[in-house]
Amino acid sequence: MKRTSGEIISQIILIVLMLLLCLSVLYPFAYMLAISLNEGTDAAKGGVYLLPRAFTLINYEIVLGNEVIQHAYLITILRTIAGTIAGLMVTLMVAFGLSYTKVPFRKSILSYILLTMLFSGGLVPLYIQLYNLGLINNFLVYIIPGMFSAWNMFVMLKFIQGIPEALVESAELDGAGPFRVLLQIIVPLSKPMLAAIGLFTAVGHWNDWFAGAFYVTKQDLIPVQTFLQQLLSAQDMSAILGSNSNQEALARGTQMQNVTLMSVKMATVMVSAIPILCVYPFLQKYFVKGVLIGSVKG
Amino acid sequence: MLAQLYKYRWQYVMIFPAVLLLFLFNYVPMAGIQIAFRDFQIGSSIWDSAWVGFQNFAFLQEPQFWIVVKNTLFISVLKFVFGFPAPIILAIMINELVSAGFKRFVQSVSYLPHFFSWIVVAYILQSFLTLDGGLANDLITKMGGEPIFFLGSESWFRPMIVSSGLWKEVGWNTILYLAAITAIDPQQYEAAKVEGAGKWAQIRHVTLPGMIPTVSIVLILSIPSLITVGMDQIYPLLNPANMQVADVLDTYVLRTGLQQGYFGMATAIGLLSSVIGLTLVVLTNQISRKLNGEGLW
Repeated sequence: MKRTSGEIISQIILIVLMLLLCLSVLYPFAYMLAISLNEGTDAAKGGVYLLPRAFTLINYEIVLGNEVIQHAYLITILRTIAGTIAGLMVTLMVAFGLSYTKVPFRKSILSYILLTMLFSGGLVPLYIQLYNLGLINNFLVYIIPGMFSAWNMFVMLKFIQGIPEALVESAELDGAGPFRVLLQIIVPLSKPMLAAIGLFTAVGHWNDWFAGAFYVTKQDLIPVQTFLQQLLSAQDMSAILGSNSNQEALARGTQMQNVTLMSVKMATVMVSAIPILCVYPFLQKYFVKGVLIGSVKG
Repeated sequence: MLAQLYKYRWQYVMIFPAVLLLFLFNYVPMAGIQIAFRDFQIGSSIWDSAWVGFQNFAFLQEPQFWIVVKNTLFISVLKFVFGFPAPIILAIMINELVSAGFKRFVQSVSYLPHFFSWIVVAYILQSFLTLDGGLANDLITKMGGEPIFFLGSESWFRPMIVSSGLWKEVGWNTILYLAAITAIDPQQYEAAKVEGAGKWAQIRHVTLPGMIPTVSIVLILSIPSLITVGMDQIYPLLNPANMQVADVLDTYVLRTGLQQGYFGMATAIGLLSSVIGLTLVVLTNQISRKLNGEGLW
């Protein structure tokens, strides 16, 4: 196919614009990485844009040696795994139960679920209820309240309704009860949908700082994102040096002098961002599909 | 009837957790709204607290509350004005890329920020804008200007929110539009070409009309969120210096309620915004019925 010179020029402009867009997405991470690998006092003079000028690993030694951060990581990983599995199981089960259109009171139950998507009691009454249930300062506050997602349920319901009924019926004729049908027919056929929703749920858990900041006051229960949120407004390094197990690194006084709050902050945020950057390329194929499943109106 | 209930007993077992969880974490808090009309202290029972009528709604007469309302509307309108058209334009641009590989690359990269928390976004802003060697002030001083304390500035707060919001979500929001473009019948482009339509004419007369249904759905769905401007995004960037422009309804509830312990007042504000939200959703549903012939539910 022949292209006019106008088309070629506009294509070049477009490519340049898109490259700028990609650069604007990726550059901040490169920039923060450079600062985090640079001596803090040196970085504060400015001019470190892409590569570290005074290379050091001390910022990472401080961050990785910090017991609070180590513990926060453990909390984040635990809640992400437990929260995602529990969320998927409960929500899928409900969606499957509701996929039987002849269940008595099905319409009322659906309305009961739908109403919660339209109106909420607000933050304070929820907080008081969590308090009354003993979930404040409790690890389970990360898992239980979010175990059922009305939105995900409707997406799953829509998906399950697309599975040929004959498959379910033939299994039932073989004597399989609803739980067997769910495990042996629905789950295997829903894998792409479960992968997508599971991915979004996991990212939600990984990134949530709110619950840790307001429903929890004990430092040994906060996840990484909440730690980051607290560190964001820290005025000095006591927040991070106060509980450091890596005394050896701290003992190297000359190096410590070159550490600033900003350089440690950058190392901390990179430590939280790197896992996502690493798994991202492998998960792409799932999430686009996931968004599109969700967009088909039920 | 009983036979029917018994026949579906396992289905009820499956559905029960949802009924219970929604009861505990949605319906009980809804009943808790009465705190707005009571003198409630944490630790005491909601039902035993004294009724105080509309005493908790005294905030309606406080100037600070109206500043917060103004900030909320201002930020949500700004975010909408920039955030709504941007992904449409970006989707058209991505679609016009000739190389399929490069197209995929741009898509992958532009979706990436969606997967980071607003906390990480706040760190990125801090790293670029800090007075101690941050890139922005570094460049400003090199060009002979005075360094600007962006993070504590009232005039820079809104641009910061709008641009970081765009950075995080614009790519992600193209997904639906790109799917809509893919669904356009290629024959329409062929027909347009035969009639001598250039690229621009094709975009105007084929691509854009093909996107309209998706655009209108996204537009309708964004109406209810007009009064919730993303506390997740704003709270990490909020500080005493920019409070006068940055404080929005959600952060106001958070501060007065959970941090200062004015539960009655915070619940009252929450109730007010829930009612407005519900009104917007119902309105949206009506609009959607009129335009598309079917409602949202």
